[in-house]
Amino acid sequence: MDFNLPPEVEQMRRAVLDFAHDVVEPRAHEIEATNRVPDDLTRAAADLGLFGLSIPEEYGGLGLDMVSKCALYEALGHAHMGFGGVISAHASIGTTGLVTLGTEEQKRRFLPRMATGETIAGFAITEPTSGSDAANIRTRAERRGDVFVLSGTKHYISNAPVAGLLTVIAVTDPTQGARGMSALLVEMDTPGVRVGRIDEKMGQRGALSAEVIFEDAEIPAANLLGPLHGGYREALKILTNGRVGIAARATGSMAHLVELGVAHARTREQFGRPIADFQAVQFMLAEMQVDVVTSRATWQYVAWLVDQGRSVGMEASAAKLHATEALSRVADKAVQIAGGMGYMKDYPVERWYRDQRLLRIYEGTSEIQKVIIARSLLQ
Amino acid sequence: MKILTLIRQVPDAEARVRVTNGAVDLEGATLVMDGMDEYGVEQALRLREGGADAEIVALAVGPRRNEDALRTALAMGADRAVHVETDAVLDPISLSKVVARIAQTEGIDLVLVGGQQADWDSQALGAATAERLGWPQLTWTNGLQVQDGALTGRHDVDEGNETFTATLPAVVTTQQGLNEPRYPTLPNIMKAKKKELRKDTLDQYGVTPLVRVVGAEIQARARMNRVIDGKDPQAAAAQLLELLRNEAKVIA
Ligand SMILES: Cc1cc2nc3c(=O)[nH]c(=O)nc-3n(C[C@H](O)[C@H](O)[C@H](O)COP(=O)(O)OP(=O)(O)OC[C@H]3O[C@@H](n4cnc5c(N)ncnc54)[C@H](O)[C@@H]3O)c2cc1C
Repeated sequence: MDFNLPPEVEQMRRAVLDFAHDVVEPRAHEIEATNRVPDDLTRAAADLGLFGLSIPEEYGGLGLDMVSKCALYEALGHAHMGFGGVISAHASIGTTGLVTLGTEEQKRRFLPRMATGETIAGFAITEPTSGSDAANIRTRAERRGDVFVLSGTKHYISNAPVAGLLTVIAVTDPTQGARGMSALLVEMDTPGVRVGRIDEKMGQRGALSAEVIFEDAEIPAANLLGPLHGGYREALKILTNGRVGIAARATGSMAHLVELGVAHARTREQFGRPIADFQAVQFMLAEMQVDVVTSRATWQYVAWLVDQGRSVGMEASAAKLHATEALSRVADKAVQIAGGMGYMKDYPVERWYRDQRLLRIYEGTSEIQKVIIARSLLQ
Repeated sequence: MKILTLIRQVPDAEARVRVTNGAVDLEGATLVMDGMDEYGVEQALRLREGGADAEIVALAVGPRRNEDALRTALAMGADRAVHVETDAVLDPISLSKVVARIAQTEGIDLVLVGGQQADWDSQALGAATAERLGWPQLTWTNGLQVQDGALTGRHDVDEGNETFTATLPAVVTTQQGLNEPRYPTLPNIMKAKKKELRKDTLDQYGVTPLVRVVGAEIQARARMNRVIDGKDPQAAAAQLLELLRNEAKVIA
């Protein structure tokens, strides 16, 4: 078993880490104040190549296997989580469906401009009445001639306000339930496609999510992604793949919080010595580090399985569940180590504490991950 | 035209280093390309982007880990790399023998090297290389162009600056202010993977170090960890001024 990354991947990992620390972090205040990722920062991310993270080389992306991709996601986890959220919604759930299911023509049409960040992507399955119960969606895509007529409402859709392209899951045969759904590539400038209210969220500022409303929008039949009526199964695959990436990103965020915790514990003095001298503080740091190590080992294993061509439904859920729950524990301890400062807006830990909470909810809640894991044991 | 740009590797400014058995132990430290050498790589790229028809060769002489710095140069845009792999520690005069030989065998027109080697601090490598080759040497360059086989450039000093011209081939040492080195992008890091990285051994150059390092010590400086309470900004500023003036003595 070889845990060494190839030298070029190690080099990219470092480049992303440097970018997170030196370029993104100094702008965190601005992102928090404006709830936007500044345009020049998005452009810098595009110049670095982050938008091409999961796109093959022939379409202008990096052409990485899963282990390498996740190594970069872990590095991205060190960045402001709203910023990281924009990139990962694009590169993960927004892109992988098209990469794995797209026809040559579809890939040529969209991927090159997605790789440069000119077109930002997203993925839409969730609806106001259908969250965890994703097989129960109502958004309808009715075939009429050479178009699908799309109507319905999606909500909480990451990147919707800035996206050029969404992969939308809709019902194409209402009599067939989960076997009557399809994935469509929906360009946001299509007449009848509209972004509704932008969500006011607890955290991850700068990563905008919103309602997306379809009012008889005509989507060319050429934009059907993957098999007709096979959309639900494919959506689950997209989400499964994304879960490994989330586990990696959570690992990076934890590692970042450990760095902050160590730095604070070394410099903050009480009772005449650094609080790092107190075993209670040392134990918090040790427990945080255990969560980093186990989460990292888990994503590495599952990403490796993906690269072996193995199906990882249960394992991806285990990795996501473990890493995101661990991140919450780690963030809580990071606040505790910082004391009152950990509760203050001008210290970064407060922001991480809010931002990380989302990871236990989206792309399948922790409970849904457990349902998947238990099902694999009992079926 | 062929440009040779020399790469050294140094610990990251924030790296923690230790001394074990009288030598600096870099195990686990983050190593990066010497900033001075980065200016050289960047300037080579700019000369090419400015219209010079140039092939850019990056050279490192040192241990295996130097490969990382060479890959950075390739990812920035150098065309190929030569790595003379050795664990021997070479003094600048010995090292200049390798550099000069490679400049000759590769048919190099311009050698770019950091003005002040962060690892030896001798400022001798550029000069010794130029001496061996019998080429002009231009030091501490802040501006550099190539036109019709001639170099023009600028050298800043405290009191002003000088401009110069010289014919190629030449050795140029770089310094801060020459340019703003680019970050390697992720796609370029991937592309660099396919570029040639040639491995030579030190034996091929018949060089043995003239100077032997027998010991090293690191000066340890403890932080005072003094934090000024910022609740009253006026008082905090006054206290900071007072400390800078009377304790750190960095302002008058
Ligand atoms: C900021 C943000 C961004 C998002 N981005 C996207 C996006 O880009 N695209 C997209 O399609 N969706 C997105 N989502 C939606 C997200 O995936 C859903 O919110 C999530 O799947 C949960 O659905 P829900 O909110 O409807 O909660 P519900 O499904 O109503 O769940 C409520 C609670 O019930 C529990 N529960 C539900 N069913 C079960 C069960 N069977 N067993 C045990 N417990 C159960 C849940 O675990 C949870 O604790 C985003 C959400 C947020 C908050």
